[in-house]
Amino acid sequence: MTLLSIENLCVELEGPEGTYRLLNEVNLSLSKGQCLGLVGESGCGKSMTALAIMGLLPQGMRARGAIFVDGEDLLRAEEDRLCHLRGRKMAMVFQEPMTALNPVVPIGRQVGEGLRLHLGLTRHEAETRAAQSLARVGLPAARFPLGLFPHQLSGGQRQRVVIAMALACGPDILVADEPTTALDVTVQAQILDLLADIIDEFDMGLVLITHDLGVVAETTDTMAVMYAGRVVEDGPTDEVFRRMAHPYTRGLFAAMPSHSSDGAATRTPLSTIPGRVPDALSRPAGCPFVTRCGFATDVCHRSVPQMEALGHRHGAACFNIARGEVDQ
Amino acid sequence: MTLFLVKRLIMLVATLLVAAVVVFSVLEILPGDPALVMLGVSAQPDTLAALRAEMGLDQPAWLRFFQWVGGLVTGELGRSYTYDVPVSELIGERVVVSLPLAVMALALSTMIAIPLGVIAASRHNKTLDIALTGAAQFGIAIPNFWFAILLILLFSVTLQWVPAGGFAGWDAGFWPAVQSLLLPAFALALPQAAILTRVTRSSVLEVLQEDFVRTARAKGLSRNAALWRHAVRNALIPVITILGLQFSFLLAGTIIIENVFYLPGLGRLLFQAIAQRDLIVVKDLVVLLAGSVVLVNFLVDVGYAVLDPRLRSGGGHV
Repeated sequence: MTLLSIENLCVELEGPEGTYRLLNEVNLSLSKGQCLGLVGESGCGKSMTALAIMGLLPQGMRARGAIFVDGEDLLRAEEDRLCHLRGRKMAMVFQEPMTALNPVVPIGRQVGEGLRLHLGLTRHEAETRAAQSLARVGLPAARFPLGLFPHQLSGGQRQRVVIAMALACGPDILVADEPTTALDVTVQAQILDLLADIIDEFDMGLVLITHDLGVVAETTDTMAVMYAGRVVEDGPTDEVFRRMAHPYTRGLFAAMPSHSSDGAATRTPLSTIPGRVPDALSRPAGCPFVTRCGFATDVCHRSVPQMEALGHRHGAACFNIARGEVDQ
Repeated sequence: MTLFLVKRLIMLVATLLVAAVVVFSVLEILPGDPALVMLGVSAQPDTLAALRAEMGLDQPAWLRFFQWVGGLVTGELGRSYTYDVPVSELIGERVVVSLPLAVMALALSTMIAIPLGVIAASRHNKTLDIALTGAAQFGIAIPNFWFAILLILLFSVTLQWVPAGGFAGWDAGFWPAVQSLLLPAFALALPQAAILTRVTRSSVLEVLQEDFVRTARAKGLSRNAALWRHAVRNALIPVITILGLQFSFLLAGTIIIENVFYLPGLGRLLFQAIAQRDLIVVKDLVVLLAGSVVLVNFLVDVGYAVLDPRLRSGGGHV
């Protein structure tokens, strides 16, 4: 069952030098109990997509297209309605647990706030539910009283509080924007496991934003590779990893530090993708990746490649899919 | 928390002691013999010497300092040279004017500034924000004694709502007394409120950029709920710092404002005591005013601890 379906989402920002198009015809969908991974470099539009889903785009940005949740288009919903849905239908886990929590409010109240707002619970009921929610993410009240303040917790513990807060009202969709980037490596795996468990347990859908292909491979069911505000390749995770049709996906994969089977890093130098993501104003007219692509031909400079079906639900937007694969 | 308060309390006492030393030394160094002022320049040398002995002026400075500080601690503030009544009595009569005046001014300025600052921030760069910021700039630029005169012209002379000056006295009832303090308090509060509005506005604007405000929105709080429940409390920390600093300006302001409105307050007493070389009154008053400033700063520190739990535990992890 489809929980979330994003159709032709465009996000624009009116700037002094013209209109910046931050997202360009993004299409994504997420089913119940599934995890969708969004990958790409910084500035490719991953977080912007997350904020668009939550209806929390910064002021001055315009979104077009459609974001359907339960058949309701969020982009056409009034702000009151969005407030009603946020936290209850869709919830978000942020990248920086250090700053995502209010430093002057006890954790119990921060977790319970949504419950009181959405479910109309009393302070006492909300506290009980908040304690349950915190216990579920591994912060039992015996060791972590509700009266603790964020500064009394470690980074991983704070991220658990943020997850408890997101879970509190039992949302259908959880959007996690780089939930482990700010954490220690050892804690990262715990948080990812926790998220995966929760998705199974509550039968939710998870949108996991990351720049780490390893995380994508381990955690997600489907994935979308984003570049310069567009989805350039998407499909079931195992299929995308098997085939890697888009040169950018292959570039990302090659840029991952690889480990041999005994765990030691191999001695080959790390591959990089030359150049950097063009900013929203100076994006090329044709394929957004053309300036950095080793396979670019004339047509790539002239027009934008459309998504092409490659297999069951697997697609990539590239004119040279076949050629790239041969060269690989 | 207790350790924090004890530390601040020790600081408070130390600051007061330093203030006492400074006030005493300055008045020692300044020319002007109070005995000579009382008797006039044509006084006989032996009369002068007798009076000096009676006032204790012939004793060494350090001894007089300790006698004075000892008196301050025990509440024995000495006798005024010019009024010939105990200083504590003089101060007692006037503190019931000045303290309510200062508190009213502080309350008015806070009640005006914080809501306006928050509203301006929430309407950042919109018409209302620009209007409020402009009005605040205007308020900062207006000298309060001139503003006081304008207030008198409007509310006392033209509208005749409140008396133009003087103090009805608390015996006349609560409302008449408050009425006679209303205009002076407003005149004192306006420039303070103007500054505070701007501080509140920029502080709230800064806090609104914080991630936790977005987290609150993601929970489903409306823009206003996130603003008032999550941003304002964090934004108040710099605001109460300024509030504490403003208190001393407020006290200095009372000296002028009490003169404009003919209020028998501490500011007016201080002004007269200086003019008449009533040194014992000056000394006591300055230490009292310094003490109230230090006390307010102590309260500001307590306010920090109340607002920000990180300060209570010293910022460490448990």
